[in-house]
Amino acid sequence: MGAIVYTTVTEAIQQPIAFLIQLTAVLMTLLVPVFQFHRFGEDGRLARDSGLSCMLIFGLALAVGTAGHSVADEIARGTAAAALGKPVSRVTFVFSKWLGVFGVVAVFWCGMLAATLVSERSSAHFVTQEQFVGYATDPLTLCLGLFGALGALGVAAARHYFWRRRFGVSAFLGVALSQVLVVALSGFYNRFGEFFPMHSEAACACGGEHAMGGALLYHPELNGRVVAAALLVLWVLAVFAALATALATRLQTGAALSICASVLFLGLAGDSFAMNASVFSLRGLVAGVFPDVQHFWLCDALAHGGRIGGGYVAEAGLYALTCCALFLTAGCLAFRERDLG
Amino acid sequence: MENRTVIELRAVKKTFRDFWYRPVVEAVKGLDLTVHRGEVFGLLGPNGSGKSTTIKMLLGLLHPTAGEIRVLGAPPRDTQTKARIGYLPEVSQLHPFLTPRETLMYYASLFGMTHAVARQRTEELLGMVDLRHAADRAVGRFSKGMARRVGLAQALINAPELLVLDEPTSGLDPIGCREVKDLVHVLAKSGVTVLMTSHLLADVEDVCDRVAILDRGELRAEGRVGDLLRKSDAVRFQVEGLSEQEASALRNAIETRAGRAVQQDYPSMSLETFFLQTVAADGRMREFEMAPFLKAAKRTPDRESDA
Repeated sequence: MGAIVYTTVTEAIQQPIAFLIQLTAVLMTLLVPVFQFHRFGEDGRLARDSGLSCMLIFGLALAVGTAGHSVADEIARGTAAAALGKPVSRVTFVFSKWLGVFGVVAVFWCGMLAATLVSERSSAHFVTQEQFVGYATDPLTLCLGLFGALGALGVAAARHYFWRRRFGVSAFLGVALSQVLVVALSGFYNRFGEFFPMHSEAACACGGEHAMGGALLYHPELNGRVVAAALLVLWVLAVFAALATALATRLQTGAALSICASVLFLGLAGDSFAMNASVFSLRGLVAGVFPDVQHFWLCDALAHGGRIGGGYVAEAGLYALTCCALFLTAGCLAFRERDLG
Repeated sequence: MENRTVIELRAVKKTFRDFWYRPVVEAVKGLDLTVHRGEVFGLLGPNGSGKSTTIKMLLGLLHPTAGEIRVLGAPPRDTQTKARIGYLPEVSQLHPFLTPRETLMYYASLFGMTHAVARQRTEELLGMVDLRHAADRAVGRFSKGMARRVGLAQALINAPELLVLDEPTSGLDPIGCREVKDLVHVLAKSGVTVLMTSHLLADVEDVCDRVAILDRGELRAEGRVGDLLRKSDAVRFQVEGLSEQEASALRNAIETRAGRAVQQDYPSMSLETFFLQTVAADGRMREFEMAPFLKAAKRTPDRESDA
């Protein structure tokens, strides 16, 4: 199983489309603070919501594309038949493919989570300090994020040129890694570019620690509450990875993408469908059968300092796992009798 | 007798259907076939005769519409059984971004081999198919012949008891074809059962003990190659070093004695033999690195895992 998962991940991130999807999503997220003009004190929220939206939409496209490439295309090309000619059961094959698709999505998610954190920190925040009161952006972190992504491409190109390493793999992993590194680095300087760990809102909140001076304290000025919302998006991406993998056992990528997009739409509208709907009505059926994506989309809960509890994230994870199991079972049943030639 | 049977097909049918489940084509019509242990069995037939369909049913990739299939005493989908089979598809189906080394490591890991054993087997097979020089290039850029060599190596990765070769010489140059045929001979001597299909009848004639001829999904003939090809009502003499006069006198004597006309001709070598001799004279022919593979072939995967 591990070999199929590894090969699925390697093959998928080797595809130029995977790297382009990730780069586009990261750059769109990072550029939100540059192009936002209506502040009203909610710049951070705009960046956060945009980042999570990109994470969901581009993640969905990546999951469906990866599933299509690694399942539907492999069936058409014959590499699936070659693997199933070995001692690999069809259930193992489908499950391994899902794990591989989810692995690719998870790497993408890490990069996007980091990019969202960078974007939110770079947006204008209201800062109250001794020397400064007002809105302040963080251009240094933003530049690091942007140059980190572009630098990752340069490193990937160099690895390809000098050591013949795969460009797609290096670029895909490099872009994600660059954003994580920027997040890690951002703990060593404040919003004004001063290499001093205590700064801005945090400094206001714990002025006593500021007085410690000299002691190197690590304090990334990041909104950790985003992580819970991003985890929920990761769960829903796992569900769509399972759905896309199941569909790809019978359908081509375009058809699978259409169905996944429809399920996303119906899932987001699930609350409306379910409202006052009888269990035995069509609306009730739609609300019951399709995964309720609203459970996983809680950006608004982060507004005004709101938090998403760990218990809720765990429960949503269980719900997602149940959906994954159902979709994968359906996929295995669909694939069980399929002729591979 | 029963335990000598490696492949057994009884009244096997395969009908391909369209989206509405309507029959489109009946690819195999009630096929009965038995392949015994240690045999090199050839499946012949024109395009669309059902050869590849039969092979895919043997591997559990296609489902028979009717009939029963037993491979190594078990249903074709049994994963334990598949661990004892090597399969070379008609078209070498490889992951284009993987290198030959990665491809072989991938297939080795599907058999549950340890990393060390997989690495050792991979290096042996890369040497055997003469691909060490290209072991770290992506197979997507390989010629058809080179991809075929990778495909052949992956079919042998598990030292199979049963080797299924679908058009094994397709895309190979004459040297590669000769090497594959030599390999089949060597494998057969070491006790491996080989089932192969080919359009090239000379290839099958060279290596197969028994053949079956399929046409439009039906079995037309089956038997030992020598028996099928023997002309029982004719006798052929071959004498070297006779002059024209001596040959003429001999022919007249036989005609007088037998009371029938005698055909006289001068045998020539096959084009393949001439080509191989010519290339061998240039020193391009190489000896197959059989020794390490044969050692590997005598090991079973279970014993390797313990090693």
